[in-house]
Amino acid sequence: MRARIVAGGVLSSIAVLVIGWQLGGQPAVTAPTQQSTTSGSGTTGTGSTSDGTSSGTTGTTGGTTGTGTTGGSSVSGTFAGDTTETRYGPVQVQITVANGKITDVTALQLTNSDGRSVQISQQAAPILRQEALQAQSAQIQSVSGATFTSEGYTTSLQSAIDKAGL
Amino acid sequence: MIDTARTSAHRPLAAAPAAETLDVAARRRRRAGRRRTAVADLLGIVAWVSAAVAVLLWLVSPGSHTVVGIGGWLTDAGIVAGLVATDLVLVMLVLAARVPLIDRTFGQDNAIAVHRSLGKPVLYLLLAHGALLTLGYGASAGTGPIAETIALFSTPDMPLAYLGLGLFVAVVVTSLVAVRRRLPYEAWHVIHLLSYAAVLVALPHMLSVGSVLAEGTWQRVYWIALYVLALGLIALYRFALPLVVTFRHRIRVVGVETIAPGVVSIHLAGRDLDRLGTEGGQYGVWRFWTARTWWHAHPVSFSAVPGRDRARITVRDLGAGSARLGRITPGAFVSLEGPYGLFTSRARTAPFLALVASGIGITPVRSLLEDTDLRPGEATVLLRGTDADQQYLWHETAELAAATGSRLYAMVGHRAWSRESWMTEEDVRRDVTLQSVFPNLLQSDLYVCGPRAWSDLVVREARLAGVPEHQIHQERFES
Repeated sequence: MRARIVAGGVLSSIAVLVIGWQLGGQPAVTAPTQQSTTSGSGTTGTGSTSDGTSSGTTGTTGGTTGTGTTGGSSVSGTFAGDTTETRYGPVQVQITVANGKITDVTALQLTNSDGRSVQISQQAAPILRQEALQAQSAQIQSVSGATFTSEGYTTSLQSAIDKAGL
Repeated sequence: MIDTARTSAHRPLAAAPAAETLDVAARRRRRAGRRRTAVADLLGIVAWVSAAVAVLLWLVSPGSHTVVGIGGWLTDAGIVAGLVATDLVLVMLVLAARVPLIDRTFGQDNAIAVHRSLGKPVLYLLLAHGALLTLGYGASAGTGPIAETIALFSTPDMPLAYLGLGLFVAVVVTSLVAVRRRLPYEAWHVIHLLSYAAVLVALPHMLSVGSVLAEGTWQRVYWIALYVLALGLIALYRFALPLVVTFRHRIRVVGVETIAPGVVSIHLAGRDLDRLGTEGGQYGVWRFWTARTWWHAHPVSFSAVPGRDRARITVRDLGAGSARLGRITPGAFVSLEGPYGLFTSRARTAPFLALVASGIGITPVRSLLEDTDLRPGEATVLLRGTDADQQYLWHETAELAAATGSRLYAMVGHRAWSRESWMTEEDVRRDVTLQSVFPNLLQSDLYVCGPRAWSDLVVREARLAGVPEHQIHQERFES
């Protein structure tokens, strides 16, 4: 009886692990290759990450408006925050400000020490961005499961806000 | 030896001949045995697969296929160790939950044996989990293990996780045989209950710090479902069901009778005790609500199959707690967990029955004999005792044997000194063997109950004689 349990257990466990290996193989490979494959014309690229890791469309629009500050209370332009080192890599965000209001938050760098961190960053970045736009400050809740990314994000965000003088 | 324990608990002796022939009964038992074996295999494989699924959770998590650097490998090895360890801890909880299906399939004593064998591996996995992650994070961030530990302590939910690890260490260390022997049962038990707390305080850091069980994933749902299942089974079968049984049957002590030096029969009264579903050979975990005994639960076998409003258990003073049982006064309220055990005719797979009992091991053997439909000549009983003081319940057993047409032998005397044997010196010299006592030994279900070292010798001889493993039934008395 015991021998059968061990044999059956080992066999079915191996089957489960092979399935897990196959399931896990697909999405994780695309994560680190996104940087190199440019616009998502192929099968690997996905459009949803444009506001996440790469400073794509939003970054360029920030660039065209220029980084000048107009005097008075209403500030406009893009401001990059300090780079914050975390356990899983550096985090740096850039804010776009129009008339003293944060209109966009772009992640220039996100935790990327390994594929897992990249994935976490991609999950957390849109949530953190939304929170920051709503709060109009760095006083935002950290995303569960992405504690370190959130910490780095808020720290860099605060320094960007400080630079903008908001 | 005079046996005075004639209680109303006894059912009328089942003298009516069994309806089926030996062959038909044997076929039915073989079928039931195959079913039980199949369920046992299935449950065992499910436990294995659950550990594999824990690894699968990591495999399908992002990043598992792109591990980078020594720090990454250490970190991921640590994550896998933690996932498997937690899964095994939950398996251990289920094994200790006294789930009826597990008791009927393996017997609770076998389930606890597996539970014990998992203790040390789980502890090593947990320690490896902590060490590997600390080193892995440290290597990735370029800090030393001590600085890394300090950093981890300031991470949300991590202090609780360290507390859980500490509790697990305490639980396992106090359960090591060498340590447990020196601890009072109560101290061990209280520390062991802390494992529930350890399991719970370890959960938050898995959900917040770990990335495998990230929010919004099916992995997180699966993991929480495992927790709910394991803790739910504990709550249901270790707490709720015993409460229901206790209040439904309202068992009280009606008499305590010393039947041999250090051996007492406790006579119990209650409501609908026949509906407890007790099978001969089973035991309960009893708690007697008197000022001196309420804090200690005792696993004690039924020494007779309960009647409608009467039951009887017989206990020898094996420890400080059970010595006090002799001084329980009638009227004491009794709570019961059980009945449990697979030392019953349900476990039979062969046409004949061979029962071997020594000392207090007579109790389940006696009630098993009482509760089994037997054809004349089907069963043979061998009673073993050192001296006249160990012949309690023998008289009753002999009557049951006579009523069912079973042969009964007695072997009295100290264990042989010329070689290691479960028999007396005299019987060793006469070349008595299990097969000479039980002529149909190879076609018999062999039930052995008595002191551990002694019954192991009986079982060893049976194996050497060629009795198949599924025909050997041994009741382990330490729970």
